Amino acid sequence: MHRRQSGKPDRPRLKPHGPGADSRAEGLAESTGKRFNQSPSSMGECVSESQNAPLPATNEDTCGPYFPIPFCDGDRMDLVQPHFALVNRAGGRPIILRGRFLDLYGDLAAGVLVEFWQANAAGLYRTPATAGHPDIDPWFDGYARCRASDGRFELRTVMPGGTVSQGMARAPHITLTLFSDGIARIVTQVFFAGEAGNDTDPLLLSLPEPMRERLIARHDGRRGDGAEVYQIDIVMAGEGETPFFDDLSS
Amino acid sequence: MDGNGRLLAIGPTDNTSHQRTPRQPLRLIPAAARESFAPYSRLQPGLLPQEADMTRLAPDLPRAEGTPIEVTGTVRDENGRPLRGVLLEIWNANTHGRYGHAEDHSGLKLDPYFLGLGRVLTGDDGSYRFWTIRPGAYLARPDIDRWRPKHIHLSLRGGGARLITQMYFAGDPHNDRDPMRILMGDAFERNIGKEYAPAHGDVAGGYRFDIVVGGRNATMFED
Repeated sequence: MHRRQSGKPDRPRLKPHGPGADSRAEGLAESTGKRFNQSPSSMGECVSESQNAPLPATNEDTCGPYFPIPFCDGDRMDLVQPHFALVNRAGGRPIILRGRFLDLYGDLAAGVLVEFWQANAAGLYRTPATAGHPDIDPWFDGYARCRASDGRFELRTVMPGGTVSQGMARAPHITLTLFSDGIARIVTQVFFAGEAGNDTDPLLLSLPEPMRERLIARHDGRRGDGAEVYQIDIVMAGEGETPFFDDLSS
Repeated sequence: MDGNGRLLAIGPTDNTSHQRTPRQPLRLIPAAARESFAPYSRLQPGLLPQEADMTRLAPDLPRAEGTPIEVTGTVRDENGRPLRGVLLEIWNANTHGRYGHAEDHSGLKLDPYFLGLGRVLTGDDGSYRFWTIRPGAYLARPDIDRWRPKHIHLSLRGGGARLITQMYFAGDPHNDRDPMRILMGDAFERNIGKEYAPAHGDVAGGYRFDIVVGGRNATMFED
């Protein structure tokens, strides 16, 4: 459940704006909105608009050290119990994923904004493609995020089910998107020790064998509130670096 | 499978970039796993229209210090398709270069009438509009006298589209030494708000910032 952010003062109603504001802005955009090809050789040359030429993407940029904590809605990190006052729960085996973000020197990387995305216990992602599917869990949408102020996070969720993509079985996994000061967006996936399909997962198999374990969260033998606890270190740079993936070139 | 993706560059004079930038090239995603790398974000309910006006905390309070500006633009994917219902989360420093964030220990002057946070959704045509105070530049590295130029942070999320970026201002004397601007090279042009004169009188300047979300994720859930 998305909760409205609280603690924010009431905002004023916007003043009415004349229709002239829009047309003025659009006219100027036409005169200044040159399109640039992405190849360095043609950089700076105005190219004609074509149906096939992709628009040059806005550069991703660092979120800086001050990503506003209130935007996280008090952190959305419990996907099992969507709201403390509701009895409804997501279906499946509850787990806790604890993690640390480590930098080049092995220090905790403070202030990382991290987003999680996963399938439900039945192995279904909640997207337009699965709308109306009987195995969609109405109390699970698979999206979490927090600002890891001290470089650690704890996600309460359910073990994702294995999925099938392009006829290939995927092992249970959670996609992590990281933003932080000093870097733009980077992405990876976390798997779970002992789960079926880890040895045949196409993403794990795309990695050199020694790298695979860096994406596998370890069961640490503890349970919290009936949930199995898993641990993972995300090493952002240097020795033991976590493999990160390129979703712009792939 | 091998074949490498992009090698991320380290921002010069940026200590955090040195500490946190992966040193290995990013790895290409096998086709069978590609779709799982497209998180789908559902529309966030509960936005108030007045969250788009960052120049005031409340109607009965004075306007924040500094220069009120309007920022407008569109959000599209690389095919030019407008992205509707995208949540923009906006944050910027006050006119003195200070954030209200609890971890900004710069000691620069706070403005009690400026929150520095705003939210707005794109319309059916992918357009957005918000009002804020033109941010101040601030000294990011006193030891080498390197400033962060004036900038507005924007985080975009909706459907498969996800982007965090910054809008910069043309002619800021600190632009040229900014680490991220240096990494962008000539493409920095895309991240500069294009100035225009707003037709109405309650802001001092307008900036057009058209945003294109790159990559396949933005096009994966066309609806």
